[in-house]
Amino acid sequence: MSLVRVILGFSLAAIFGIPIGLLMGASVHARKFLSLMVEMARPLSAIALLPLSIIIFKARTFSQLFGLEYLRYQKNLLNEMQLGMIFILFWGGVFPIILGTIQGVRSVRKMHLEAARILGAGKLSTFRHVIIPSALPDIFHGLKLGIGRCWMVIIAAEMLPGTNSGIGYLIRYSYQLSRYDIMLASIVVVAFIGALFSKGLESLGERSLVLRSKER
Amino acid sequence: MFSEVKKDDMTALKVINLSKTYRESTGEVHALGPVSFEMETGEFLCFLGPTGCGKTTLLRTIAGLEKPDTGKVIIPSRSGGEEPVIGYVFQQGALFPWMSIFANLEFPLKAKKIVKDSRREKVESMLEMMGLSSFASSYPHQLSGGMQQRAALARSLVMEPDLLLMDEPFSSLDTRTSQKLQENLRDLLKKASTTVLFVTHNIEEAVYLAGEIIVLGHRPGRIVRRETIDLSDPRSRVSESFTEYLVSLRKTFESLVSD
Repeated sequence: MSLVRVILGFSLAAIFGIPIGLLMGASVHARKFLSLMVEMARPLSAIALLPLSIIIFKARTFSQLFGLEYLRYQKNLLNEMQLGMIFILFWGGVFPIILGTIQGVRSVRKMHLEAARILGAGKLSTFRHVIIPSALPDIFHGLKLGIGRCWMVIIAAEMLPGTNSGIGYLIRYSYQLSRYDIMLASIVVVAFIGALFSKGLESLGERSLVLRSKER
Repeated sequence: MFSEVKKDDMTALKVINLSKTYRESTGEVHALGPVSFEMETGEFLCFLGPTGCGKTTLLRTIAGLEKPDTGKVIIPSRSGGEEPVIGYVFQQGALFPWMSIFANLEFPLKAKKIVKDSRREKVESMLEMMGLSSFASSYPHQLSGGMQQRAALARSLVMEPDLLLMDEPFSSLDTRTSQKLQENLRDLLKKASTTVLFVTHNIEEAVYLAGEIIVLGHRPGRIVRRETIDLSDPRSRVSESFTEYLVSLRKTFESLVSD
């Protein structure tokens, strides 16, 4: 359950974070305009926002969002996707992704931009074929940090009252029942899955990293 | 002096009173000029000068990568009124590392919106001509430095430039590789009528390649001498006339740029 939540929240963070980062990296105006907002929002811990997001989103879940009211009293995955929780996951993941992407766009080598210009490439083509591939290693780095943050946030969020599923819930529940064996096992699982996420993204990003580090 | 008509036909590049000063936090650096010169179509002109004499600045300004403080660069448009195409070979490392050699060469043709089949044909024949066919699907980092520069040269030539600017393209290579590439370049240019402006601090390279040499003095870069190299082609580095010429030019160069 935690996994599905994290993947959903993280995907949303990536879908919004990468374009925002690209925009902020490429345009001075966008950077000036958005950086204050990002810098103010970034240090706000996602956990700190959980009560607020519950106020905003109530206990609404995805099944309600899609108008599937009849699912509400059945056992269904969508019932467990609380909007508030997804929101804080998004919040936790989006900033490292934005910052990584900005860093990537800004570290494009000047010579490659000049080469593209001389070779007659327009802005769009330069962006697609030069800036994005150069930025890819940093984008992956941002994604890696982002998913780590998401994973930390979800565990904490699931430990708060109002949840009745997820591995964070399991840790708290087993603690209350004094089943420390289950609790410890859960912690190990959390660590293991966190590492798996990180490694998975790393191997995805490997190719782009290798290309950049080997460039002479 | 050329008549007006003839000038339109033959002039490939006209540089008038070009100068450039960089303003940095540490103060102003007067890097170049004013410099004026002309080039005819098909000419191979070599700028020779010590490090820091503004050679690269000159080339970058002509290419439009820098804005000059004073002066103008005139590159006549093609006969059909099309924009002139300028090629630029950087010192090193300008290939896109995330693209295969084939994709690198294809990039400028894509930008010119050439259809896929003819792109493919052009890239393949260029790779063949440069002896790079077997590296088409390799990535730049898998190639030696010499091969990388060869590919960079191929990428500039595949655009069929009216003016090819080369900024010490072989200076990062060892002597043997560098000489090999110089020979290749000569052979290639014999076939095409590309106008080449080549910049180097290596006198031998200049004498081997160029039809004409312009010597630039120390900062700010100014033209101190322009002369035609009257050696018959093909030139040989070991021939007596070549070494004699080299020695005499080396002497004048020393006296010209020593102060």
